[in-house]
Amino acid sequence: MVAILAIVACKKQSTATANVNAANKVAVRPVRLFYESPQMVLVSETRNIALPESPAAAIPVVIRELMKGPASAGAMRLFPADTVVRSAYLLPGGTVIVDLGGSTLTQGWGTGSHHELMAAYSLVETVTANFADARRVRFVVNGAPAETLAGHVSLAKSLSPIPQLVDPRFR
Amino acid sequence: MKRLLSLGAVLVLALASIVLAQTSGQATLRSPAGDRPFTYVQQSGQTYVSTNEVVAALGGTITPDSNGYKITISNAVAAFGPDSRFGVVRDDLIEMPVPPITIEGAPYVPWQFFQGLLAKTSDLDVTWDAANHVLLIRPRTHDVVGVQASVANVQGISKIVLTLSAPAEYTILKEQGAYTVRFKSPIQAPFAEQAVEDPSIAKLTFAGSDLRIQLTAPDIVADAYKLDNPPRIVLDFRKAAAPVPGQLPALPGARPQELPGIRTIVIDPGHGGKEVGAVGPDGLMEKDITLALCRKLAAALAGKTGARVVLTRDDDVLVSLDQRTALANQYKADLFLSVHMNSAVGKVAKGSETYFLSLEASDELARKAAETENAVSAPVADPTSDLKLILWDLAQQTYLDESSRFAQAIQEEMNAASGVANRGVKQAPFKVLVGATMPAALVEVGFISNPEEEAKLQSDDFQNLMVDALTRAVQRYKTDYETRIGMVRPAPAAPATATAAPPATGTVQ
Repeated sequence: MVAILAIVACKKQSTATANVNAANKVAVRPVRLFYESPQMVLVSETRNIALPESPAAAIPVVIRELMKGPASAGAMRLFPADTVVRSAYLLPGGTVIVDLGGSTLTQGWGTGSHHELMAAYSLVETVTANFADARRVRFVVNGAPAETLAGHVSLAKSLSPIPQLVDPRFR
Repeated sequence: MKRLLSLGAVLVLALASIVLAQTSGQATLRSPAGDRPFTYVQQSGQTYVSTNEVVAALGGTITPDSNGYKITISNAVAAFGPDSRFGVVRDDLIEMPVPPITIEGAPYVPWQFFQGLLAKTSDLDVTWDAANHVLLIRPRTHDVVGVQASVANVQGISKIVLTLSAPAEYTILKEQGAYTVRFKSPIQAPFAEQAVEDPSIAKLTFAGSDLRIQLTAPDIVADAYKLDNPPRIVLDFRKAAAPVPGQLPALPGARPQELPGIRTIVIDPGHGGKEVGAVGPDGLMEKDITLALCRKLAAALAGKTGARVVLTRDDDVLVSLDQRTALANQYKADLFLSVHMNSAVGKVAKGSETYFLSLEASDELARKAAETENAVSAPVADPTSDLKLILWDLAQQTYLDESSRFAQAIQEEMNAASGVANRGVKQAPFKVLVGATMPAALVEVGFISNPEEEAKLQSDDFQNLMVDALTRAVQRYKTDYETRIGMVRPAPAAPATATAAPPATGTVQ
């Protein structure tokens, strides 16, 4: 036992949050969440939510808020209701790694190109619209690289915003 | 009781100690440049290395920012964050077993970070020798690959089929009157030298990891593609044709241009097998309707265009997205059309949509895919040359321009046939279009999620209407393209349809 205890860390070590104070400091802020309109383009609604000050800590909070679905009339939820945001990280250079899970995405999401495209880009727009440092989103599913979410949109590279998918009034 | 509780507490403490136990010390980074010391830490079964020290030993730089760290090694820029077990380099993911940790303000990454980084940016392997505390960096080794060679002449085309004992990386180099297949792995050759009785191929010579193919004339050109199960490399040889006046410049890395015009069309029925695609409110499956429609379309196109028409699947089977495009490349298709049924959250969505690849998605992945499938046609032997990359960019842009025209023709004909308001031509990073070395589009015929459209999609009349519209679109694009390249339109050849069997490889000599 003494031997085991003797090799317990003698160096100061943490699990490395980039800025613990910023991550813990929470303030209510407005965020823009993107959903599909009846005109089949992305529109945003603004919601006030409690957010950590640091973008690294705030991004997963905003994505989880997106997954709750729209509050405004007419706007439509795009991701399956059982989608789980496992984690989201902002890396230097502007890539956001978003790890999604949930039974629908795990077992095979059977939907069409339009639906899949709008879902993926609703998240891309939400992240890039709310965080200046975030420029693109790289999706992984259940902690591993994935080919697509539902058989169409390639996830082999990061996705950057496509303005044409967004209602001009909300770009 | 008290003694039991005390014992329990000690056990819990002991277990926690084991989990948190951390050892650290000096390790050696051993590379072709020599040995360098660095600090490592072991914790919870993982080995972390001092990122600052290893990056410095590799001659790179590391820069912190508010979201993590940027590393520059040679020309590659990588990034990782403090909590993510994924890093990135050139938009490729670097996967780590656990996230990095920070010790006294300095980042420590699992050693596998450098394994992933160097695997994606160099020809170096990284391994961790736990017993001796050595991070070993050395040129990637390759297992010996057995090669069998056969030569056949099929309908005037000389073919060499190289059957490999395992998948292997290779490049194909062209010189006057000869080609060389250069394997990255050591190979076990079937013979040293063999003369061949063939109109195009004179002699095969194995030396080291090279197969040299001596041709019978300097104007013979080759085209190559890969096949799986078993892994094979197929090279087709034929005489180069004289250029057609007014013909568009040859696309590097593309199909051979000696046969201009739209002669082969690959039609891709979306989904299949366990991937059912979208499902309508009445239970209609996308995979079934795409197959039914594509079978009709293939027959119509063969009859009306005279082109060879190939289906990527002619049954309810799963075909991977990569295989669909690879098949089109292997057949040297001049057009690729993927057919799907759409789905939206709103139940009233209706009409057709046509997509072609977005430029962002088309660049590096397309280049990578097509380089391996069309290595012979590349204009220069050095696969890393800047000229080749520039030509590739031009080629991809040309494909996109042609894909845009093709998509426009489809959308116009579909709108006219259905009478539905124009949903327009769009660009998106669709996986099935990535890597296609020909004009390619994806059409969403109708919304299976709309009960009215679901009912229509099941009717023969509506299917025939859509097939007619798609046939007219292909004919329009074909005529337009062949007019623009100044080609005298040939008389229609005998129509033929084929399914997704690989191109014939002939009999073994």
